[in-house]
Amino acid sequence: MIELDRVTYTYPDAAVPALADFSVTIQPGEFVLVVGPSGAGKSTFLRTLNGLAPHFYGGRWAGRARIFGRDPVALAPRGMADLVGFVFQDPEAQFVVDTVEDELAFAMENFALPQATMRKRVEEVLDQMAIAHLRDRRISTLSGGEKQRVAIAAVLALQPEVLALDEPTSQLDPQAAEEVLVALRHLNEDLGLTIILSEHRLERVVQYADRVLYLPALAAAPILAEPRVVMGQLPLVPPLIELGRRLGWRPLPLTIKEGRAFIRRLADQGWESARAVEQPGDGTATRSATAAPIVTVHDLRYAYDGHPALRGVSLAITQGEFVALMGRNGSGKSTLLKQIVGLLKPDQGRVAVAGLDTRQTAVEELIRIVGYVPQHPAALLFGETLADELAFTRRGHGLPADRPADLALLARLGLGDLAGRDPRDLSGGEQQRAALATILVADPQVILLDEPTRGLDYAQKQNLARLLLALRRDGRTIIMATHDVELAAAAADRVVLMGEGEVVVDGPARQVMSDSQVFASQINKLFRDPRFLVVDDVIGQMASCKPVLSVAEGLQIADGRGEQENV
Amino acid sequence: MSSNASFHPLAWTAWLAAAALPALSTRNPLYLSLTLAAVAVTYAALGRRSPLARSWAAFVRFGALLWLLTIPFTALTAHHGTIVLLQLPANWPVIGGPITGEALLYGLTGGLALVTLLLIFAAFNVAVDQARLLRMTPGFIYQAGVITAIAVAFVPQMVAGWQAIREAQRVRGHRLRGVRDLLPLILPLLVTALERAMQLAESMEARGFGGQVLAGAPAQRIRSQLAILGGLAALAAGFAGLGFWPEQRPLIGITMAGGMAALLASFWDLGRRVRRSRYRRWQWGRSDRGVLVVSLSAALGWAAAWLWRGEWLFYYPYPPYSPWPTFLPALGLAILTLALPAMLLRPARPVVGTDAARPACDRTANVMSESERGAYALDRA
Repeated sequence: MIELDRVTYTYPDAAVPALADFSVTIQPGEFVLVVGPSGAGKSTFLRTLNGLAPHFYGGRWAGRARIFGRDPVALAPRGMADLVGFVFQDPEAQFVVDTVEDELAFAMENFALPQATMRKRVEEVLDQMAIAHLRDRRISTLSGGEKQRVAIAAVLALQPEVLALDEPTSQLDPQAAEEVLVALRHLNEDLGLTIILSEHRLERVVQYADRVLYLPALAAAPILAEPRVVMGQLPLVPPLIELGRRLGWRPLPLTIKEGRAFIRRLADQGWESARAVEQPGDGTATRSATAAPIVTVHDLRYAYDGHPALRGVSLAITQGEFVALMGRNGSGKSTLLKQIVGLLKPDQGRVAVAGLDTRQTAVEELIRIVGYVPQHPAALLFGETLADELAFTRRGHGLPADRPADLALLARLGLGDLAGRDPRDLSGGEQQRAALATILVADPQVILLDEPTRGLDYAQKQNLARLLLALRRDGRTIIMATHDVELAAAAADRVVLMGEGEVVVDGPARQVMSDSQVFASQINKLFRDPRFLVVDDVIGQMASCKPVLSVAEGLQIADGRGEQENV
Repeated sequence: MSSNASFHPLAWTAWLAAAALPALSTRNPLYLSLTLAAVAVTYAALGRRSPLARSWAAFVRFGALLWLLTIPFTALTAHHGTIVLLQLPANWPVIGGPITGEALLYGLTGGLALVTLLLIFAAFNVAVDQARLLRMTPGFIYQAGVITAIAVAFVPQMVAGWQAIREAQRVRGHRLRGVRDLLPLILPLLVTALERAMQLAESMEARGFGGQVLAGAPAQRIRSQLAILGGLAALAAGFAGLGFWPEQRPLIGITMAGGMAALLASFWDLGRRVRRSRYRRWQWGRSDRGVLVVSLSAALGWAAAWLWRGEWLFYYPYPPYSPWPTFLPALGLAILTLALPAMLLRPARPVVGTDAARPACDRTANVMSESERGAYALDRA
């Protein structure tokens, strides 16, 4: 049993406690999902389970913690390692040695287990996590999902009772995340392992959880209850649950399967047959057909050290389009973005931006037109203050300093109060916006974003989507590489699906997303109808079909709330 | 890489020491060139199969650059010697005065020694499997070994990070024009590296790293501390002796060897107290022993010459000595034997899938091919 009793923990130099008077009891064998906005203490809570907080970080601790009878504060993380296995967010940064098998043995070596035992357990965990085929591989050659499974196997080797996982899938593509979650569910159901997992993308995990622990910001009391109960109380939830809440579905559906039951009920009441609306989304198609493209990619081929990354990509993107580039990791999305901004030059084929051939144009010239926000905002930020960062970009572009304009831009991005702050002290979502600000200050016509939602919570993602939509309304062209199906559904008007360095599908977002099993949004999976990608599509449709309004009593709720939610 | 195999790292560590000895103890260009030749042969025989083979070219380029830098430095600043190549105006600071052939030679040989050392290290790099080497670290510096392993793994990550940061800043219009322009690159690099390091440290702590040293009895502790102190003192005395009484080489050699032995003994004692097990067990193959024997005999021969007949290795181009190096065939031969292991010996255990060998007691021994392994799996089922 896991018991935290009135725990108050403050990081060193922090004014406010990360956990304040925090009590929770978790039964053996439970699968507990920890949710809440960034900075609410999810990571801190997980780290109290094995004593990393307070031992690794220092700080002030009060209260009592008992994990299966052991006291993590007295024993320190190394004394808890055989009881609580801990898996971290970044698949890159938690490996000690270079090959899979040695990594699995690392913890056991630390515990001085006999060699025969180690051999047996290595074989066991290789099978448990289905990674036996990777045993001899170098970790650096594994994919993200494989790395996370190796990380889980590495802590399982000590046969812990509890697995604590700190956003283990936030850096993975949807398929890789699925691999990891399926493995976890198997451990929980077949071995009775207690699993405590924090995660931003609820839609992936909420159906697996026995209970959900919600940690709200601002020191409000945490909630630990059945998923449906908590989902009814969260401010921001996955689209399926959002729709269920707006339409007053009881019990709230957590999976598409449960949602379908309600759809059938709607259909029985005649709603589904009301198809009087014209197909939305064809505006995009006509626009790209008529206007001259601002970005043209023609038969682009490119290889890294002989490994082909792009094999004949052709694309034409019109001014004002919002394009989502989707596809597995390694399908060539990032490479394509770097080609457009001229950081990489084509091996074969041609890339032109506003008529300029990237092969004949210097990057310095191209960045007047194209802005590129890389995957890790930390790679950009170095100045003493946020305002310095913007001034630096201005200098780089040979633009005159214009502090009032910079401040106005920051205010527009919701960073107005932070202009004087050290950019490295900002939260993940703020850093993402700060990186965007350093690019936007040069006023590029085309904005390229590489995976902008990594590690953002729902509110931050919503803000980002609003911001991008506002930029597009100003006539900017946006090309965004993303795994985030819901963001693409909410914001993009065109989806380009890539695979193995080629464009697999290219078309209006509605059409592409409703044609695909993997890249369909939750709402689309629910209805399998190109008219419905996001919650508002459904609500809007219901509002326009007056006769159906009487069907669900929940629609009154929809009327009241339909305006404010845009994403 | 299925044909890749690995030697016992300790054997090649002995080779590293044997090859580095000439480069450290003489500036005679003939011996240095021979060492370089032996190293090049070693690389040619072993290196191409290593995953690090590509680093060789980088080492060579860096070495050449280093060499090119040292030559003009000595040539322009040392104005001694009789072979005057040209005269610079005497009132020029530092570089003014005669530029002599001797200074040029001195720069050449000094640079050659540096390059030789660098390439010895490069050849060592491709000959051993670093991961295996690091896992060999003895118990008492086990933690140091793990930290080194991490540092080694960090380098490629840093290179990748550096590229990402350069790209990101370039797109903001950043250009490298001076030292000050380095800040936007270095700072993010350091910050991200530090974050990574913190996360790794957390991950290691969470997996029980560092809690395994048993406290010894007080008497035992004092004994080993005294042994370390004595050993270090003997080594220091030896180095000081080399400077003050160069004629007492044999005595100095014995003192230093004694100091070394005291240190090793106390380290071994400390190592016994680390409570930790090893997943892999290594065995010495015949070729490993071959490498060891050749390296040790070459090193012993050279060390004996250095300690007892220092003048054989002496080279100093400035007057009153001759700029022409002396050459003893026996010493040359000792150096050339260093090329033999790589030419004649092959690592004993070929490995499937990776270059790290699994223990010989392992029933899924690495000598199996993939198909055999499949058969084994069936057998076990």
